Amino acid sequence: MFEYMSYNIAPWGHEIVIYFFLIGAASMTFVYAAAPAVFGNVFGGIAKSMEPFQKTGLFVSLILLAICGPLLIMDLGQPSRFLYPILYFHWTSPLSWGSLFLPLFGLCILGFYYGSMKGNQKLMRWTGIIGSLLALSMPLYTGLDLMVHQTRELWSNPTIPLLFVILSMSSGTAVVAVIHFLRGQLDEQAAEFLHAFLYISLAVTFALFLAEWVVLNFGTGEKQQAWEIINQQFGFKYWGVTFLIGILVPLVLVAAPKIGRNPKVLTLAAVLSAVGAFSFREVLIYAGQLTQINF
Amino acid sequence: MPVGLQAEPSLGVPGKKRWAMVVDLRRCIGCMACVCADKAEYDVPLGVWRTIVKVKDTGHYPNTKRHFMPRLCNHCDNPPCVRNCPTEATYKHEDGFVLQRYERCIACRTCIAACPYNARHVLPKNRDRVKIGGVVDKCTFCSHRVEKGLAPACVQTCLGRSRIFGDLNDPDSEVSKLVARHKTVVLKPEKGTRPQVYYIKPERAQTEQVFAAPQSYAARSDSEAFYKHNRGSKFFSGVL
Ligand code: SF4
Ligand code: SF4
Repeated sequence: MFEYMSYNIAPWGHEIVIYFFLIGAASMTFVYAAAPAVFGNVFGGIAKSMEPFQKTGLFVSLILLAICGPLLIMDLGQPSRFLYPILYFHWTSPLSWGSLFLPLFGLCILGFYYGSMKGNQKLMRWTGIIGSLLALSMPLYTGLDLMVHQTRELWSNPTIPLLFVILSMSSGTAVVAVIHFLRGQLDEQAAEFLHAFLYISLAVTFALFLAEWVVLNFGTGEKQQAWEIINQQFGFKYWGVTFLIGILVPLVLVAAPKIGRNPKVLTLAAVLSAVGAFSFREVLIYAGQLTQINF
Repeated sequence: MPVGLQAEPSLGVPGKKRWAMVVDLRRCIGCMACVCADKAEYDVPLGVWRTIVKVKDTGHYPNTKRHFMPRLCNHCDNPPCVRNCPTEATYKHEDGFVLQRYERCIACRTCIAACPYNARHVLPKNRDRVKIGGVVDKCTFCSHRVEKGLAPACVQTCLGRSRIFGDLNDPDSEVSKLVARHKTVVLKPEKGTRPQVYYIKPERAQTEQVFAAPQSYAARSDSEAFYKHNRGSKFFSGVL
């Protein structure tokens, strides 16, 4: 049987996947760095365990941001017009909001850094709070950017923004854990703090992974097509890298009562979860573009 | 009421125009003259298309049939490509055209992802004759011709008179009469886009194909060649 159909392919490639990953990691790294100033003595002062991490955390999230911005700009067909989403702001496009929040987030990091240099607690607190909200908005807007595509059913799903926030929590925790571990600062309190966040993020990711399975298998024709594409073209990445290496193994590691808080195990679990966070997004972004193209 | 459009939907609004196309599939002979006319009108580069004619064979010998289905931008009355564009580079004209401002487009490709009809493409940079490149492009319903009272290039050249163009808000127009008298369908009405290309008598095999992969990938390999050729300095990595 013959069929001839031309394709114009929606080209969101690895730049976008890397950007989504790095901006998520940068955001959560900042949230961790700002946690002592934002939360202070709340929750028994456990956030204070991040104090030694403050300067490094700010530095790392600034570096990640300095990679993200240019990467996103270079991905445009017209890089010199990168300010247009702000200049010609279109309120119904999450991309416009993201372009606005990204530099503001950068300013908050700088403000927080300035405050910490001068010992200005008030400035640190305010830039910490606003910066953390903007940091949350980063993975949120990347998820929304997919979700608003009402015509692509794999993306048009209210769990996607939530999933992206949770995945950024995993990758941010990985950055913090690795740095702490390498500097020998992963003491009991810090391990407790990171363990809690990693446990929550992995458990929620696991639940959302299962939800995705149900939704795609019990869904419309297009959802079933997405499921087929995921299993055929991205089978190894989805089941092997995302589910097994990126969700299940680290979840078992952090859930194990005896070893879960061990610095080495915790760091390993965090790194694995970051690998999963990357490939989960990658599969969703790519497979979402491939549905419907035969119609 | 749809949000984020620069002009309200005009279908059925008195005093407004709503340009639309009717494609009578009983008359299409698959000559692809419309594709050629369109390529010539806009110097559309190899590897991308503003309009195409999809070909599909059904059945088994000796009971077979070849179907043709011209495809183009549906100039939706509620276009998701417009709503999602971060710079309002793509916009809705009050007469129903969905158009592109090249000087504003940043080629973020959000609109390509938003369109459920695969109607948009990116123009590569470094083109030989027409210098517009590195931006997203699409069918314009030949607004430059329509504004001068001419028919779109693909309609003008259609030998079978399969493509018919006109104002759907004008009850005396040919498109209005055809839509009134015939059973017509639009593509993917469930997506809420309110497409304005109406098909007369399409086969189910042509319209309900979401789940079935095409049997021949001839055209797909053209696309792949296009994206591979244009990678790197000229372009971005793409999903392929
Ligand atoms: S067919 Fe696609 S490009 Fe054309 S108006 Fe509709 S959504 Fe936009
Ligand atoms: S590629 Fe151009 S027209 Fe499309 S959404 Fe981006 S800026 Fe708008």
